[in-house]
Parts: sequence; structure tokens; C-alpha cells
Amino acid sequence: MMDWFQSNPMTLVGLVLWAVGILWLMPAKHGGKPRSRILGLVLTAAGLVSFCLACGNPHSELANEVMFWVFGIGALLCGVLMITARNPVYAALWFALTTLATCGLFLLQSAPFLAAATIIVYAGAVIVTFLFVIMLAQQSGAAGYDQRSGQSVLATVAAFVFLGAIAMTLQTEKLDIEVRAVPVVAAVAEPAPAVGGMPGMPGIAVDLPIGAPATPPEPGNLLSVADADHPVGNLKGLGRSLFGDYLFAVELAGTLLLVACIGAIAIAPRREQGGL
Amino acid sequence: MPELLITLLTIGVVVGAIPGVCNYLILLERKLSAWMQDRIGPNRVGPMGLFQPLADGVKLLLKEDVIPPHVDKVLYVMAPALSVFTALMAFAVVPFGPVNDDTVPSFIRFIIAPNIDIGILFVFAIGSLGVYGIVLGGWASNNKYSALGALRASAQVVSYEIPLGMSVLGLALMSGTLNLESLMQQQVAGGFMNWNIWFQPLAALMFFTASLAEANRLPFDLAECEQELIGGWHTEYSALKWALFFLGEYTHMITISFLTSILFLGGWHLPFIAEATSAYPGLWLVKLLILSGKAFSFICLMIMLRWTIPRFRFDQLMELAWKVMIPLSLANLVMVMFCMHFEFSRWWLFVGSLALFAAWGTISANLREAELSARPGYVKRKKVAVADHDHGHAHGAHH
Repeated sequence: MMDWFQSNPMTLVGLVLWAVGILWLMPAKHGGKPRSRILGLVLTAAGLVSFCLACGNPHSELANEVMFWVFGIGALLCGVLMITARNPVYAALWFALTTLATCGLFLLQSAPFLAAATIIVYAGAVIVTFLFVIMLAQQSGAAGYDQRSGQSVLATVAAFVFLGAIAMTLQTEKLDIEVRAVPVVAAVAEPAPAVGGMPGMPGIAVDLPIGAPATPPEPGNLLSVADADHPVGNLKGLGRSLFGDYLFAVELAGTLLLVACIGAIAIAPRREQGGL
Repeated sequence: MPELLITLLTIGVVVGAIPGVCNYLILLERKLSAWMQDRIGPNRVGPMGLFQPLADGVKLLLKEDVIPPHVDKVLYVMAPALSVFTALMAFAVVPFGPVNDDTVPSFIRFIIAPNIDIGILFVFAIGSLGVYGIVLGGWASNNKYSALGALRASAQVVSYEIPLGMSVLGLALMSGTLNLESLMQQQVAGGFMNWNIWFQPLAALMFFTASLAEANRLPFDLAECEQELIGGWHTEYSALKWALFFLGEYTHMITISFLTSILFLGGWHLPFIAEATSAYPGLWLVKLLILSGKAFSFICLMIMLRWTIPRFRFDQLMELAWKVMIPLSLANLVMVMFCMHFEFSRWWLFVGSLALFAAWGTISANLREAELSARPGYVKRKKVAVADHDHGHAHGAHH
């Protein structure tokens, strides 16, 4: 502890200044003399600035770690609160927060598009629609049927089968992922200095050794392999992957949504107006 | 100067400036409205009423802050904060001056978060969260009028998000990026004839319209709708909480105007005055003024639209989104794809946009006529009357 302070005097000074400033800005005791706001503001600002200067790089490993835990625990906590909330409106809001925390995790994994798309679709549209329905259906508080679980057996079975499937996938695929990850990193790291002129662009290999012994060829994911023109991870790479490697799945999902849409339109009107 | 400090400085300036600017925008709105209605407008406080915003601000700060006993307290307090928070967050990726420019002093940066790859998508994502402020405010107020306003707002925002996003897709396809800075850079590099409005006029119109609906401005302010719903979702709010809702709305207006200028009107580019090749001292200030001027003119346009187009009925609002703007933006997207794939000149997009607009107008007008003729007591309008005061069937789409 003392060592850290000695090696980072600026951090300590900044923290102390900041703390004194905040203390100064607190409302005075009853009957006490009011303090000068300006002095407090100056102290706080000076402390904040020197603290930021001392901390330096915001991209540090520590910040990454902290954010991971904040988002991860946040998602879990909000999920639990969503399930246990008595009021459906609050449950929907906790669901929104869970989605936002998950999007934070996506951002940490350098998947900004996924994060933005999830926010737009789930937090921005789906949960707003939930709120819409809840507000329409229950203007006089929570209904009795919200306090009971209707299909408890089915729900439990479905949830745990799904959980089992995820666990199985993670356990069987674990080795595979490790084998895959190592050679790609090596392949990216090695040729980059040899080419030269691209020190600021790690992660983009100019000539990827396709068919090298350590990288098993992946016939299903040919388009997802990074090269100079198509780095994986940005919008272009994602688009190539979605509409190249996973075209079939994307089209299938699209067709499913179309069918659901047609079904909804067929069911929506009242019977005398030509509904089902 | 370290990156972090510059970012903090920019955030400080933006967060400090926006409430002040919003205050004066309210004065501008009142003055312009007065001008349009042949009134004088606020003129008591200071010369020409210039200190009216300050007086209003002080009044809002000092007013009694009433929390009615029948509300859901947590959400009631949270809603206005949320609406300001989301509006300010969306501004983080919007460049409000020249960016990536060497002539700008190194400690000034006109964007809070530079080089965001998903740029415009981030604005949409955060903007789509903005409706929570309205919905929660309306629900927490525990009042029938507020709940109706909140219901309308949620349906409206969810519907208009689709054309809002889809109208920009064609642009993204053409430019190959969603990054606002590079979108601006590309237009600047190409000069006046490369402004995106030439190739995507229809998309520009739809983007502007849909974002008006997202911001709940008239003619789309059905969530507020004084004549029917008293004040809609903010009926139960008073003092600073009420002011925060309006701070959010005006911040939204500012963001929209900057976005429209950047996406479609070439950002800080202006022929002969600020080109990519021009160089003279103080250029960056001129660029800043040009971009702000474009945004300002859009804000004036929004204010004047308020007194020009009457408010939609709710079914008309939904029809405009689902039957007009979504198909049109899809057609626009297909047109861009077609043009790019066969490598036609981009000017065909201009022609195509106009043709699409005309075709959709004709179809909508004919459909409307057919629907009306099925009603009992229908009398077909005479040709003379049509020629006299029905300018352009294209507007039939809106009725």
C-alpha cells in the first residue's frame, strides 16, 4: 500500500484534493456559516484533473477487468431481479437493464455492432412493446395471475434442457476453441513485422498461411478468415460472415420471421372482418 | 494534452453548452411562432426579451416541485432524468465541428467519442432508449391522460425507428461506412456536387420526417397533444422535472439537425468558402460556424413546420410510417443496390428518387380515392376543383 503511494504520488495528491473539494461542497451543518462554492469547485476540478492525469491510459487492463465484472454481475443481478420483481413493469425494466449490461459485455469483446443491434431490437423495441402491452392490460396494478406460475413443469424442463445444451456445447467445444485460437494469434503476430509498415495495425495479417499445419482448414467458415482487405471484427467482416458463411441460417431466420409476420396479420383482425 | 483530459473538457463544454442553447432555442421558438402568427412574442425581460430564457430558467429552478401522492415515486423521479440522459448520450458520437483537422488547436475536439465505427447506429441505439423516459413518466404518473400519452409514444417511436434506420441504409451502402466522421469526409472531398442530398433526396426527407417523429415534435406530438390529453405524459410534472423533459426534447432537436446536416448536406463544406482545399487562418472557426449554421437552419425549419402542418390523427400517423415510409425506404434501398451493382452513374439515384416519390404519391392518392368512394354518400370531386387547389398528388400520401 505504502509502496504504491510512493510510486504514484500524483494519484494520492489528486485523490486528496478531490476528497477535500467534495467535502467542502457538502452542505454546511445546521446554523453553520455557508462555505464558498467556487473554492470547492476549483479544488474538485483540480483533484479530478490530476487524478485523471495520474491514472493515464483509460484502456488499461484494470479498467477492462473492472468493466467486465461490473457488466457481468450487473447482468446477473438484473436478471435475478427481473424474475423476482412483483410488478410486471419493473420486471420489464430489469429486463432492459439486463440487456444493456449484456451489450456492455459485447462492447468489451469489441463487437460494437452486435451491441448496438441488440439495444435497438431488444431494449428499444421489444421491451417497449412489453411495456405497451402491460400498460394496456393492467392499468390498475398487478393482476392475480401474475403472482402464479402457469406452466411450471414445462418452463422448468425447457429452461434446464437449454442450460444443459449450453453446458454440453461449452464443454465439448472447449478444447477445439483453444487449438483454433493459438495458431491464429501466432500467424497474425509473426508475418506482421516481416512485412513492416503496419505496426499500428495488429490483428491484420497480410498473407495468412492458409493450410499451415497448425490451422485446420475450416470449410464452413472460409469467408470469416481474416486477411488484409477483410479484417474480422468490424462491420465489413461481420457482414461477410453473416451473408457468406451463415447465409443459410440468416435466410432461414428471415423466412421464419416472415411466416410469423404473416401469421400475426392473419390472426389480428376480428372474425367478422375476415380473420381466422 | 492527454486524450482523457481533452475528452473531459469536451464533455464539460457540451454538457454546459446544451442547456444554455436549449434555453435560447425556446426563446427562438416563441419568437418565430409569434412572427408566424403576427404577434410580438416575449419582449418584457431585457432588450427584445433576450433575458427571457434566464428568467424562465430561474423560475423553473425555484418553483415548488410537486410530487403527487398517487405516483410511483421511483419511476416518476427517474423518467425525466432518463430522457435527458439518453438525449445527451446520443450526442456523444455527433461531430459538431471540423474533425480530424490539423488546423484546429490540439486541445479542442468537436466530438466527444471520435472514430466510432458504428457511428450513426449508436445514435439510433441510444435514441431508441429515449422513449423510456416518456413511457415511464406516463405510467408512473398514474393518470389516464398520461398513460394514453405514454401508450401513443411507445407505439409511435417503435414504428418510426424502422424508417429512420432504413432511410440511412442506402447512404451507408453508397459510402461503405456508418462512421459519421468519414461520411462527412467523403462528401467534403467530392465537393458540392457530392453532397449526399443529390443522390438520396428521398432518404433525406424520410430521415428528417422520421426523426421529427422520434423527437415528438409537431406534427407528430401525439404523446403530448394538449387539446386531447392536457399535456400527455408530462401532465403530472412540474418545475425542474418538467423542464428536464423539455431539455431532452430540445437536445434531441439539436442532435437531429446536426445529423441531417452531416449525413446529407456535406457537414462543414460550403462551396467557395470552406472547401477541402481552402486554407486561411481561422478556417476551423468558419467550418464550425458553417456546420452550426446548417444545424440552426434545420432547427428553424422544425419550428416553422410546427405552425405549418397540423397534427396527424393516430391512424394517419401509423399509416405514414407503415404504408408510406417503410415501403419507400425499402424501394430506395433496392434502388441503391441496383445502381451500385450495375455501376450506373450516381445521378440515376436522383432521378430514381423523384420517380419513386411521384409513383408513391399517385398510388396513395388513388388508393385514398378508392377507399373514399366505398363510403356511403360519396360524391366524386369535380376536375376543376382538383386542378384549382390540390397541388401535387404526392401529398395525398399524408392524408
